[in-house]
Amino acid sequence: MSVATAHRAAPHPAGADNRIVVDGTVLTWRDLPELTLAGPAAVLAHSARDALAAARHHAVHGTELLLSTASRVDPAMRDELRDAGFTVIDADADADADADADVAAGTGVAAGVEVAADSADAAAPARPRPADPGRLWLLTSGSTGRPKRVGHTLESLTTVRGHQPSRTWLCPYAPGTYAWWQVVTLSLTQPGQHLVVIEPDQLDDWPALAAAHGVDAASGTPTFWRRALHHDPAALARVPLRQLTLGGEPVDQAILDRLREVFPASRISWIYASSEVGAAIVVHDGRAGFPVDWLDRAAPGRPTLGVRDGELVVTSPYHGAGLDGPVRTGDRVQIVDDRVLITGRLDSDEINVGGSKVSAGLVRDVLTGHPQVAWARVTGRRAPLLGHMVVAEVVPTPADPSPAAGPLPALDEAALVRWCADRLPEYAVPRRIRVLTEIPVKETLKSDV
Amino acid sequence: MKELSRAQIRDLMGEVLKNQGKVLPDDDAADLREVGFRSLDFSELALRVEDETGEELNFDAPGLRRIATVGDVLDFLVELQRQ
Repeated sequence: MSVATAHRAAPHPAGADNRIVVDGTVLTWRDLPELTLAGPAAVLAHSARDALAAARHHAVHGTELLLSTASRVDPAMRDELRDAGFTVIDADADADADADADVAAGTGVAAGVEVAADSADAAAPARPRPADPGRLWLLTSGSTGRPKRVGHTLESLTTVRGHQPSRTWLCPYAPGTYAWWQVVTLSLTQPGQHLVVIEPDQLDDWPALAAAHGVDAASGTPTFWRRALHHDPAALARVPLRQLTLGGEPVDQAILDRLREVFPASRISWIYASSEVGAAIVVHDGRAGFPVDWLDRAAPGRPTLGVRDGELVVTSPYHGAGLDGPVRTGDRVQIVDDRVLITGRLDSDEINVGGSKVSAGLVRDVLTGHPQVAWARVTGRRAPLLGHMVVAEVVPTPADPSPAAGPLPALDEAALVRWCADRLPEYAVPRRIRVLTEIPVKETLKSDV
Repeated sequence: MKELSRAQIRDLMGEVLKNQGKVLPDDDAADLREVGFRSLDFSELALRVEDETGEELNFDAPGLRRIATVGDVLDFLVELQRQ
């Protein structure tokens, strides 16, 4: 891996002087190592710094780019990318070591790392093709099978455009995902939007890092927030958050209410967004779901939301390439009173129990509504006579250590079954409930995918 | 393969009914309708047997039969473990 002085032909993006904290080091976008990429390039980042450097490179040079973590791209996907004309580049740990040395030596601004298409870390395309300048590719989360490539541009990924109050954002997402790009484009394009990036091994301790660096805005999945509440609620409360955002998974009332208890004066929002349709729904009123009168309401520059056969359909100006017009999202919705609730994926949310249809999402909401349940997953399990039965896994909330709290009754399967039986039809009550000690989480910060 | 005895399955059946606020009678001839043991309870019991043994029961293997009493349930599940 060679070290080269950066040469930049294009101007820096508007947010180039924003502060970014990565791997414990305070930098600006300008200080990141300069990559030499020839498009179409698929950069497989091994660290947050590599990923941010690739994003900055694209913002400056417009090189056609697909960015992902290395762990999301298996050998078959590498071959697919090479067949699609990409040079597949492993941005590896050597690059970090070189860049760290440069920054430590005080040469950080101009120093950089060259990752050339013909280096030992690059696999040439199997079918070379001309680059499509300005094109950014995302890999979907793979919740409906293998990840798919969805084409975007920096423009279509930049959904926050108006003047924003100065914020220091936490970025916990896996590099290259739609949610990651949302936070990254905000910081790249808007002065005053700083970033504190956390690596996967910092997921349990991020509140201390965030508090130390003055993070006042954070975006994460409900699973991410539940883990933080479960792991150390006191540490979470010390983060001076003024903006909390949830997305990437169904957002239930219980998690919104628990975050409100910890952050009574903060704005708590949830967002529905995907690689395919972009950011389509933003809700700030502290309630799960969105108002039913938002359905089928067309407004220039805004997504139009609809429900067809119980599925959310979105027509969005922020859609991926080739996805204009109504897009069936694969997400199941139910209208309850004046709200439209997104309950989960169509192919996994519906459980057929002896001919009766059960929404796993609604059962999960009942379980997480129990004061001693921090997290729940609900699935169907093959069973005699009925075809499937509803089963669940839960993680209890940590015991309140204060003497005033008093002892709580033990959380056992029978108590949870009774809780559900009081709130659900008999066939929807989970009959087998496993109690886990830790909230499972995947690289996407989701636990249901 | 771990196999549950008839008595162990009976204990599990008692737990299923207890969670529903019902009591399993001592008499194996007791009628399931009178006990209040229904298809959801039967399915739950099967899952509990699977969880205890770590083996999936093959419900496609045996022919359908009339299951009307507590004893029928126990006999059926004991037999099913051997399929």
